[in-house]
Amino acid sequence: MGNLTGCRWLTVFSLVVCVSWMSGCIEQSDTLIDDQGARLSAFNWNVPDHIPLPHEPADNPMSEEKFELGRHLFYDTRLSVNGRVSCGSCHHQDKAFSDGVARPVGATGERHPRNSQALVNVAWYNNLTWANPALGRIEQQVMLPLFGDAPIEHGINEFNKDTILDSIQRVPRYASLFAAAFPEQAEPLQGDLAWDNIVKSIASFVRGLASFNSPFDRNEHSAAARRGEALFNSERLECFHCHDGYNFSNATIDRGITQLEPLFHNTGLYNVDGLGAYPYPNTGRHEVTEVASHMGQFRAPSLRNVELTAPYNHDGSVATLDDVIANYAAGGRLITQGPHVGDGRMSPLKDGFIVSFDISPDEQADLVAFLQSLTDHEFISNPRFSDPWASEPENTL
Amino acid sequence: MKWLLPVLACWSVQGYAHQIPQTQSGLNVDFSVVANWRSANVVDEYQFWQVPGTLMGGHAYPARQGVVVEEATLGLAYRFDANTYGVMALASHAGDGEHASVALEHAYVGVMCCQENGPWVAEIGQMSGMFSPRLARHAKDRWFADADLAHDVLFGRHLHDEGVRVWLHETKGWSVGLEGWRGKAFPATDHSNAGAWDVFARYQLQTTLWHALVGGWWYEASAQARADHRYGGGHQHTPIAPPGQTAPLFADVRYTGDTRLAGVYADLRFDALAHGRVGLELEMIDAELDGVVHDGIRQANLQATQQTLTVQPYWQWQAHTLAMRYEHIRTDNQLVGAAAPRLAQESGLANPEQITPRRYGIAWHWQWRDALALRTEWLRDESTERARNRVAVGVTWQYRATPHH
Repeated sequence: MGNLTGCRWLTVFSLVVCVSWMSGCIEQSDTLIDDQGARLSAFNWNVPDHIPLPHEPADNPMSEEKFELGRHLFYDTRLSVNGRVSCGSCHHQDKAFSDGVARPVGATGERHPRNSQALVNVAWYNNLTWANPALGRIEQQVMLPLFGDAPIEHGINEFNKDTILDSIQRVPRYASLFAAAFPEQAEPLQGDLAWDNIVKSIASFVRGLASFNSPFDRNEHSAAARRGEALFNSERLECFHCHDGYNFSNATIDRGITQLEPLFHNTGLYNVDGLGAYPYPNTGRHEVTEVASHMGQFRAPSLRNVELTAPYNHDGSVATLDDVIANYAAGGRLITQGPHVGDGRMSPLKDGFIVSFDISPDEQADLVAFLQSLTDHEFISNPRFSDPWASEPENTL
Repeated sequence: MKWLLPVLACWSVQGYAHQIPQTQSGLNVDFSVVANWRSANVVDEYQFWQVPGTLMGGHAYPARQGVVVEEATLGLAYRFDANTYGVMALASHAGDGEHASVALEHAYVGVMCCQENGPWVAEIGQMSGMFSPRLARHAKDRWFADADLAHDVLFGRHLHDEGVRVWLHETKGWSVGLEGWRGKAFPATDHSNAGAWDVFARYQLQTTLWHALVGGWWYEASAQARADHRYGGGHQHTPIAPPGQTAPLFADVRYTGDTRLAGVYADLRFDALAHGRVGLELEMIDAELDGVVHDGIRQANLQATQQTLTVQPYWQWQAHTLAMRYEHIRTDNQLVGAAAPRLAQESGLANPEQITPRRYGIAWHWQWRDALALRTEWLRDESTERARNRVAVGVTWQYRATPHH
């Protein structure tokens, strides 16, 4: 009898617990997502919601006014030793801000040792230029072409900078553009402060060059491109290991990324000494660090708009996308004549993902179709990124 | 050990995976095969099964349309002497294509002692968790072919791990125990020293008319970079779909942190009806997650409370059982960090439609022959964004060989 009473009690107790629990459980489920302001910016980035915003430096937050001033300065040839070169001279909008030549020439005729990089989603790179692990801010990078002397690009130096600044100050439009961009400053176009503002404004324009509106982004790429996408993401070709993520580069950083090791890769493009050496001075990361194992290591560039940025690789030595794929398919490049003879396929410093693979002509065509589907035609024709001086009569400048 | 027989009898159909072999000498063999036909998939081909608002993993593979050999088990148990025994069990479970596998689920030895105050039992080796009787059941032991939704989500379907168990065995109706695990099994990982542990207690009353079993448990696990090994973890290969179909790459999002679960359960049965017996089983689990959701470069802090309910009333008449089951999972998650939106989406924790996953169904189980049972069930599955109905028909072949004196 005692057991029977106990059982009934247990039954009642269990039912009470059950009903209580159920009444609590039928509340609606929810997931609260707090990005701690990661989507906040004073600047309209014009990127899809699923693309995380890039970092903005605390001492140079983005603004539309700085972006607009930067656009004018980016295309202004006055910012050079002889008025012949602007940033836009080597970064053409219709080529996704590359220039279509193997190696560009500076204001004084000096040829740059490396290929002009496309300026596409630069704000999302964790390090800048082809292979400098220490260069992480666009403001730092902008100084190199403006003031660098090895090689000379714009050719601005201590002796001519006042003259050049004077030519900028003479353009009536700049007074209002500088005032709008730096409203907290009384004289934003004067002295060293003006140069600081010039650098920050150009950096803002470059930072704002966002491209995420290709057929691939709109899921409008062709059947061939989709087949190529599958190949790109396959373990056979291994492309996606270095060109991964929404920016197709493993050197991508954004506000959501908390840790990222600088990644550089030797793709077996050269092997001039049989030990993996690259031709001087283009030794990649090794040029900066002087660490032997860093020989020939370069950052994986974004593949967005890659169709427009030929010739390829750090020195522009590969003419077409088909040639690029052929080098990867061979597991490196074999050079049989000229000053850089060597078998990159045998390089001991080659990245582990550079392995040879078989690819049929049809598959290669599909892969190229996929790469072409990454071209953002709005980006290369958007007036917002275009040369503001191009359509203006000389006397209005 | 006379008391053991009625206990085992109670679990004879809705049994659970633990057993202490009977006192006869010789080898106890338990072999079973469960096969089912289902009318529909849980998720479409080349899609991942992810219950919204949860982190899944383990072996919680989605049920597939068509005929599937759900599981095949082979259990061996041997009594070395009056107080020492060994248990071994192999089981194959239907997975997701290539993931179907054979696993050593049990390989443990046990020692009993202190009969005057117990008995107390100590077991060591590869074992199932004993804290939740429903969790330890195989498909051959259930009225329904599908495992409980709560166990799929919180334990990756089942829990087999290396560990040690010490428990007071059915003494005056009480069983109380402590289990310490290496942490190989979801939701733990064995990368850390923390592993997992649990405590449990249950009380059983048995009368002529009534059977009642109530219990509670507490389980804690620690995980480091825990992957959803159903689809991710380690080196990933891009899934290949036929032309015209899409096979998305699984986002390999990991979880590092603690999981604390508390559960209560009851199994009540009334045998005094003229036409059979009625019973009610229920289990409620409260899960607390405190950790970080991350991939190689992003992270977001996660605080989550997830509550599950499983209610299963049933009616038995002769060899027939009619069972109903209702299940739901309420999730309350907070994901904080700049990468929270992306990681929430990729991990499955995002729940923009505020879905409370539910599932309910009805099953008819017919013990046609001693070794053969047939099962038919209908299930309404609202555990994902798209509700689905499915019907399952199955057969269970179970063979037991117990040595005679």
